[in-house]
Amino acid sequence: MLIWFLPTFLIFLMIGLPVFFALLAAPGILLWLNGQTNDITLLYRNVYNGMDSFPLMAIPFFMLAGELMNRGGITIRLVEFSQALMGHLRGGLAHVNVLSSILFAGLSGSAVADTSALGSMLIPAMEKQGYTRKFAAAITAASSVIGPIIPPSGIMIIYAYVMGESVAALFLAGIVPGVMVGVGLMLMIKLMADRYDFPVASRKYTWPERRQASLKAFFPLLTPVIILGGILGGIFTPTEAAAVAVGYAFLIGFFVLRTLSLKEVPEVLSNAGMTSAVVLLLVGAAMAFKTVVSLSHAPEQLASLILSLSENPLILLFLINLLLFVVGMFLDAGPAIIILGPILAPIFTSLGVDPIHFAIIMSVNLTVGLATPPMGLVLFVAAAVSREKVETIAKAILPFLAVEIIVIFLITYVPALSMTIPRITGFAN
Amino acid sequence: MGGLTSVLTPIAFVNETALRLGRAVGVVAIALMVIAILIQVFFRYVLGNALPWPDEAARFCMLWMTGLMAPTAFRRGGFVAIDMVPLMLPRLLGQTLNILLLLVSLVVLLVAVNIGWSEVTGFGGKFATAALYLPTSLGFDEWYRIPRSWMMASLLVGIVLLISVNIELILRAVVTLLGGGHLLPEIPDAAVGAE
Repeated sequence: MLIWFLPTFLIFLMIGLPVFFALLAAPGILLWLNGQTNDITLLYRNVYNGMDSFPLMAIPFFMLAGELMNRGGITIRLVEFSQALMGHLRGGLAHVNVLSSILFAGLSGSAVADTSALGSMLIPAMEKQGYTRKFAAAITAASSVIGPIIPPSGIMIIYAYVMGESVAALFLAGIVPGVMVGVGLMLMIKLMADRYDFPVASRKYTWPERRQASLKAFFPLLTPVIILGGILGGIFTPTEAAAVAVGYAFLIGFFVLRTLSLKEVPEVLSNAGMTSAVVLLLVGAAMAFKTVVSLSHAPEQLASLILSLSENPLILLFLINLLLFVVGMFLDAGPAIIILGPILAPIFTSLGVDPIHFAIIMSVNLTVGLATPPMGLVLFVAAAVSREKVETIAKAILPFLAVEIIVIFLITYVPALSMTIPRITGFAN
Repeated sequence: MGGLTSVLTPIAFVNETALRLGRAVGVVAIALMVIAILIQVFFRYVLGNALPWPDEAARFCMLWMTGLMAPTAFRRGGFVAIDMVPLMLPRLLGQTLNILLLLVSLVVLLVAVNIGWSEVTGFGGKFATAALYLPTSLGFDEWYRIPRSWMMASLLVGIVLLISVNIELILRAVVTLLGGGHLLPEIPDAAVGAE
């Protein structure tokens, strides 16, 4: 009977019950009907124990670091640096938009932060240069999904915690897919630039000018080096690296760049705290949900159902990509990972798919969903920033989504793309 | 309608005040988390002395930050949900469904507060934390070992605040259903998201 908690949960979710309550209500009702009232107490305990975690602390810290960097005027330095490198190309500002997203991704693990920070600066600038507003908003939204793929990444921390994987391995596995999305988008811009005669953003910078722009962006660009270097060098745990990133962002905002004021700090802390609080509650509920998933033997039953469709892992991966893509259209990446990770990951690892590889397939697919109509969150943020209609951006983004779907299939069927770096560095087998 | 709004006003005031206080404590908590972990890193790598308390102190702060700040997010519509169905339904039906969903949430919260109370006051809460102490004398020569119940209370307090917010949201939804939406004061600040 317990297996019915999954359809109950889906019904709750589809009719609009917040994910946090659905994660607890569905198993709770079934446990109560089953007479397992003691297990309802266990559900509560698991919410608490799920939140009481040292690794999970990296989430508020990375959110805080991203907020501090953004408020501290670091975004504009990254854009200037990107412009010095790529502004002279045809479609220069569109390329600058993508390169800035790649660089911003190394500081913040959030697509929403990327869209709002870069969009508010680059969309008006692109419009001024003759790009349509819908194109500017579409490329901003499409490139922002690189944020949670390239480390540090909030959703990968969540995945690692919920599924018991290594954060460092997931961070490393995300580098190549993130860069591939960026390069793919740039290739599409190049194709479109030649066809539609996009403008160049600026004259070609001289090398001394480029050096100047690099120096201005030096301190922000050092952040991912500190985070990844610290984790890989065994100096910090991911949580400590995140706290160091906060300290570093604070220091350069206050003392080096002097762009941050004490007045702004409470609001920055409040924003980061509130957003993290929602995520932490969700993760706690997910840990409770995971217990009932195990008790119900749902993964085994789902596995046999899925295996009855095909025993070929390649076909199953294709089907799972479709499922994740559709889920990503309606649900944000974090909650989707929390819900589907404990159900899907055991099935595919039992089929021989490496757990880190599966984590990346899932993370990239659901992250791309953030920019997918009808419910993609970054589409709404891009619409708010650009004051363009969501439907218009949703049409303009289609060529870029096609690129991202190709990348999803490449990383699905060529595991080496995501697995090589973690294997070389000894973080995966 | 008048009766409903007169019940809603004091609840909204209490929520507004309690949540503002909660956000202020949450801001301090997240700052203390960062400081605690930076102290941990500094002592371990610079002074070669691994302190026992920063890890637990930071988790203590994180739990209270969550308990005190999540209810504000709930009140501002920041709890992630797929709200396509309620939005697609005819207005009356959608609003009725919204009330039903809030009632389901209330049941979850009431069960949770019941269990949470017995957890905090029960056997598990009587254990002490591993490394958290409070000074009980001005000379810092007497220390009180903080019980686990102080940490566990964070979720219980969070649930109590969520219940209070939930009741306010139900009353607002009922007033809206009865056509008095224009009488409701706006909840300040836009929705906060999780991604």
